[in-house]
Amino acid sequence: MSPTTVGDALGTSRIYTSGMRAETLAVASAEVARARAGDLEALEEVYRAYQGRVYNLGRRICGNEEDAEDVLQDTFLEVCRSIGRFRGEGSLWSWVRQVAVSKALMLLRRERHRTAHSLDGDGNLAGMVGRAPPEPTVPIDLETALGRLAPVTRAVLWLHDVEGYTHEEIGELMDKTASFSKSQLSRAHRRLREWLK
Amino acid sequence: MTNERHLEMDELLGLRDGEGSAFARAHAGSCGVCRGELERLCRVRSELCALPTFGPPRELWPRISRHVWRRRVRRRLSYGAMGLAAAAALAGFMILRGPAVEPADAWVAEATSEDLGPMINRARQLETVLQYYAPQKRVYDAPTALVTSALEDRIFVLDQMLLESRAVGADREVLRGLWGERVFALEQLVTLQVVQEEKRVWR
Repeated sequence: MSPTTVGDALGTSRIYTSGMRAETLAVASAEVARARAGDLEALEEVYRAYQGRVYNLGRRICGNEEDAEDVLQDTFLEVCRSIGRFRGEGSLWSWVRQVAVSKALMLLRRERHRTAHSLDGDGNLAGMVGRAPPEPTVPIDLETALGRLAPVTRAVLWLHDVEGYTHEEIGELMDKTASFSKSQLSRAHRRLREWLK
Repeated sequence: MTNERHLEMDELLGLRDGEGSAFARAHAGSCGVCRGELERLCRVRSELCALPTFGPPRELWPRISRHVWRRRVRRRLSYGAMGLAAAAALAGFMILRGPAVEPADAWVAEATSEDLGPMINRARQLETVLQYYAPQKRVYDAPTALVTSALEDRIFVLDQMLLESRAVGADREVLRGLWGERVFALEQLVTLQVVQEEKRVWR
């Protein structure tokens, strides 16, 4: 678990709490067992429990509504197909989230191939759409700044700082190295520092 | 400040995430600028976590469940084909059971539709013919009994799939496929009965 305050980081006590979202949503084990047996009603329960979080994850990683819907749909199609393979090690949400992250990253990869531009080059939006938006002349808010980041950079930032994935895990998910994840996170925070001044 | 340079972003992030080097920790402990930057990074992370949550703008479950259902139907259809052969191999002889088919009459609303209507009405005709031959009350030679049984099993499976497909609001395309198969199986069953009857008459 990474430190949540400056005091923790420096070995002293102090200030901020990270606000890391707690995984409080749960599906009763009986429902999970029924879902694993393919019961559609139980699968719907799973969907109802996690649809919001999966959609939000897709929306934050992909940056738009349409792709987030695709992530939600693809994730639950996969969940319905593969839930029999969920062995109950760890929470169901962790498993569903893993599927959702894979789907979101797959979508980013597909988009990258479609635009025939590399996203992991200089990490700015030009990698995605061919031309970076003009630099903001006045400070912008965090939401807007997040939307301005290149998709892969934003994905790394979200997965690491909000979802709590390690650099090793992110590297693995993206078929890259932990160093790649670290450099993208640094890039993201440098950008945010410029834009949020 | 005890060291001549400020920390780089990756060093600050490492520190924030509990992976900082001894140098970075010592520097941030005594450098106001880097300590301020570290505080800012912690604050940004907190603000990221506190951003509003987006929710799906529309209901997607019906679409997802239809996909799931269609996939299951396809899978069961392919299993059904294997089951047909297995049923024929297993049943050595039998006295035919009661009718295992759901009458096409149960599909009143769909019987007038353009796409399903002709198939449902054709099924109804075939069921009427089958009632005349009443295969369940006859005893046949073993090969005929095997095939009759297998066809009835197939129709039974298709009926269950049709009922469940209707219950979950499956696509018309799925229903059409199932009805097409059902009519085909009924035609084979009727043909079998007719051939047997002809044999009996001319014997």
